[in-house]
Amino acid sequence: MTTRRGHPLLPYLLILPTLVFVLVFTVYPTIASVVGSLFQHRLNIPRYREPVFYGLGNYVDLFSSDDFRMILGNTLRYVVTVVPLWIVTALGLALWLSRPRFSRLRVAMFHPTMLPMVSAATVWMFFLTPDYGLFNEFLRLFGYTGPENWVSDPNRALWALVIVAFWKDAGFYMIFYLAGVQNLPRDVYEALKLEGAGPLVTFFRFTLPLLRRTTLFVTTIAVIGAFRIVDHVFILTQGGPSGRSTLLLYHLWQVRFDSLNVGQASAITVILVMMLLVFTVTNFLVSERRTGDA
Amino acid sequence: MSTRLMTGALIVLVAAGAFASGQAEPVGDQPVTIQIAYPVAVDAPVAEILDGYAEEFMAQYPNVEVETIYAGGYPDVKTTIQTTIDGGGDAPALAVMLATDLFDLANAQYIEPLTPYLDAMDDGQAYLDDFLPAFLANSSYMDEIWSLPFQRSAVVMYYNADLLQQTGHTVPSDWESLAQTASDLTERTGDTVTRWGIEWPTGWPYWLFQPLAMGAGRNIVGDSDTEVYFDTPAAIDAIGYYNSLSHEYGAMPEGVQASWGNVVPNFVSGNTAMIVHSSGSLSNVLSQADFEVGVTGIPGRDGGSYSVPGGGNLYMVSGLSDAEKQAAFDFAVFLTEPARAADFSIRTGYIATRESAFADPDMQAWIAEHPQAGQTRDVLASAGKELAVQNLGEVRTIFHNYLQAAFNGEMDPQAAMEAAQQEADAALEDFR
Amino acid sequence: MRNTGRTLRATTVLRGAGVVLGIGIALLWSMPLIWSVIASLRPPGEPFARGQVWFGSGLSLENYVRAFNLAPFALYFRNTVLLVALILSVQLVTSSLAGFAFAFYRFRGQRVLFTVILTQMMIPTVALLVPNFQTIRFLGLYDTILAMAMPFWGSAFGTFLLRQAFLGIPRDYADAAMVDGSSWAQILWHVYLPMATPSVVAFSISSVNWHWNNLLWPLIISQSDTVRPLTAGLARFTQLGEIGAQWGLMSAATLVVALPLLTLFVIFQKRFIEGFMNSGLK
Repeated sequence: MTTRRGHPLLPYLLILPTLVFVLVFTVYPTIASVVGSLFQHRLNIPRYREPVFYGLGNYVDLFSSDDFRMILGNTLRYVVTVVPLWIVTALGLALWLSRPRFSRLRVAMFHPTMLPMVSAATVWMFFLTPDYGLFNEFLRLFGYTGPENWVSDPNRALWALVIVAFWKDAGFYMIFYLAGVQNLPRDVYEALKLEGAGPLVTFFRFTLPLLRRTTLFVTTIAVIGAFRIVDHVFILTQGGPSGRSTLLLYHLWQVRFDSLNVGQASAITVILVMMLLVFTVTNFLVSERRTGDA
Repeated sequence: MSTRLMTGALIVLVAAGAFASGQAEPVGDQPVTIQIAYPVAVDAPVAEILDGYAEEFMAQYPNVEVETIYAGGYPDVKTTIQTTIDGGGDAPALAVMLATDLFDLANAQYIEPLTPYLDAMDDGQAYLDDFLPAFLANSSYMDEIWSLPFQRSAVVMYYNADLLQQTGHTVPSDWESLAQTASDLTERTGDTVTRWGIEWPTGWPYWLFQPLAMGAGRNIVGDSDTEVYFDTPAAIDAIGYYNSLSHEYGAMPEGVQASWGNVVPNFVSGNTAMIVHSSGSLSNVLSQADFEVGVTGIPGRDGGSYSVPGGGNLYMVSGLSDAEKQAAFDFAVFLTEPARAADFSIRTGYIATRESAFADPDMQAWIAEHPQAGQTRDVLASAGKELAVQNLGEVRTIFHNYLQAAFNGEMDPQAAMEAAQQEADAALEDFR
Repeated sequence: MRNTGRTLRATTVLRGAGVVLGIGIALLWSMPLIWSVIASLRPPGEPFARGQVWFGSGLSLENYVRAFNLAPFALYFRNTVLLVALILSVQLVTSSLAGFAFAFYRFRGQRVLFTVILTQMMIPTVALLVPNFQTIRFLGLYDTILAMAMPFWGSAFGTFLLRQAFLGIPRDYADAAMVDGSSWAQILWHVYLPMATPSVVAFSISSVNWHWNNLLWPLIISQSDTVRPLTAGLARFTQLGEIGAQWGLMSAATLVVALPLLTLFVIFQKRFIEGFMNSGLK
């Protein structure tokens, strides 16, 4: 990279405002969680009302619990399902709706993002009603005759959450691809067309690589987003039946505010942040290396 | 340009700081101000009603200023109180939280006992004795009283009285007649059910399950705060009966039903003959149904009628000055005065919390007009204790997990309840 | 292009099919919203049940009247507008500066600092409630709109997004400007920001959208209706735990809350596209 003019401290000054707020309102609570996770601190047990040092005990307790391992499994299954669904759909929609004549359709695909999740989940609660729910009516159009109880069936509850999250945020990720697609070099495409390259070749050889940076961005925020939305769990399934749709963040709420187990809640927070950090950093290292100099 | 940008950012920062330091500390020696945080859980103008009560109170106690704070749903009120106290802030003096939250709230020292204030009343014991016993069942801990019943409800069964009469049925009085009636009232066109005999939501199951276990001979919760009875023959039998309503009698949808929001519409539109729900839905049911609605408890195996109460109590939050405590207690007592308890019940659909409220002329007129309001009160005569134990969040999750596994046929009821008992005992170990 | 008549017709048919398919999918996707609109207009006394999930016996505004009577939506609306404006305006400044620094400069600790900022997106709200409550109390900001806004002034998402956008801008532009003797601020203002308009707009939309719909933090850090946002009014109708959702009423309240935002988006949608056109990228 070429050297830039300006005082060597300038870049630090530029990030300072952001950094100050992040340090005060995020990093400090994060460090508090890391420290807190090393203590037995349970507000509803008199002898643990004041934190007592517990070493890695909270982590040991968590990872030795079958329930927690199931919750991790639920969360991973949820994330690896909904994130690819989001990305493929967002990219497909963006390529398709980038044509001016479809511009109005973008509003239709994007608007669910603008509805509050509590409302959206409540409406979906109605749509997913067994028997006369509109979702089942829709599936029946295609000859579906399977079970209809989505939110209370142990094998379907998690998919009910996926459906709602997918519907709600696919349009959100679409707008970043739309921005990316608009920036694709038109002349390259015209040249490709003249050479008679098929659409598949064009897509895989040119479009996808050219959108790599957008994909990196969308993947990162989509994974973080998948871990972070939780309102639909509260409304639709409360983590049930039998914990089959309990996601990590929902569990964190339960542990902190229902079971008043501050230490263990801190440990879950740390696990969650670590998982996301590891993912984000690897994602970055891998892709920025591939793009060469970023 | 650069400086302008930076200056802009700086101004904002400085302004924030100035704003921060500019705020004055409240001055002492002034009239007392107390706040009450409340949730809204039924479709009624609770904010308006409470503001009205606060006005009346302030007219009587000119020294006290009452501010009402709407805080969301029940979980939001609790989260707000917890965050405020854990964060060292001044929490509202009074909060309406679930009656079952008692042990956790008291252990964590979020709340204050009311006993000293009750003792100082002229007729403290008489005042307490006037509350419906089922409602007061979740107020005692460590020999003290911690909360006063306020917006309370109970598990009830609504039935379509017209339909029962037309089809020559009487109100079910035991499990056998309930199952038979539900089965008779279920209608099918081909394979499609067009009317269910009964619907019994189990998305959040412990509450609506408790009367069933009681009706089989034993509540799932004991008198002490660390006893649960999940693996008793009664609980196992109750699960078997619940499952049989769908499997044997074909009168109820199968498996866990997260249908809390749907069953009332299903019932009032005549698509379901009987539903198990909260008495809090009564006003809704009455305003929408175009048939005669009956309200009863849940029939027991060999007869009788069972229920458990639910809903929120008034708690005094910890960390108040003596003057604030007294004012908070006075306001809590004011809110529970018979005439006000009656008024609150009439306007919100909650059950009046005190015996004497039912003698109130307005209440009697209301019951004469809506006999169902009286029926909900009769249900409470045989109501037991709502599931409230130490470490409630964890114990309840354990119970829900296994109960739902048994409802969904993933586990045999006996095995499920034995596992639930074992895990719950482990979760309660620290509290014994 | 040398199309015979037949392929031309085929293309037209295909194109027509594409439009029909598009409208079909859009309609399907909008079904929950369409249903909400219809549900909100249903007379409140008529329950939703089998065979009666759409229109009632007539149209009624009663749900809206009730929603407006039960919550001071006009006041809440003002607060929400103030809140999102306060958040977005500061975020735009902080995020463009930081995004620019990360995209334009190479400096020691760059990756670490960037990762530190990214944690802002990762940490769950649960872990933030108590410490941030303490901080706000320490600053004496409890029960103010400022308290609801301040924790979001450092935006990882904004920094990340603008950095990505800035990285996509060819160096030549900045180099040319530097040869002309422009300062960093002039480069940011006259070259980078204009060329990153789509991303700035995308960020603005998502920031406004996110904070428009955020409930828990504003609810906890405030107690007066004079500062609370629209979602506090909405919660009044979505959390009827005791009796279950009142679909019509909930839909009416949702639309009251979401409609201004949806309208804004429809208007901005045009600007959004114009932004692309003017971004000067081929």
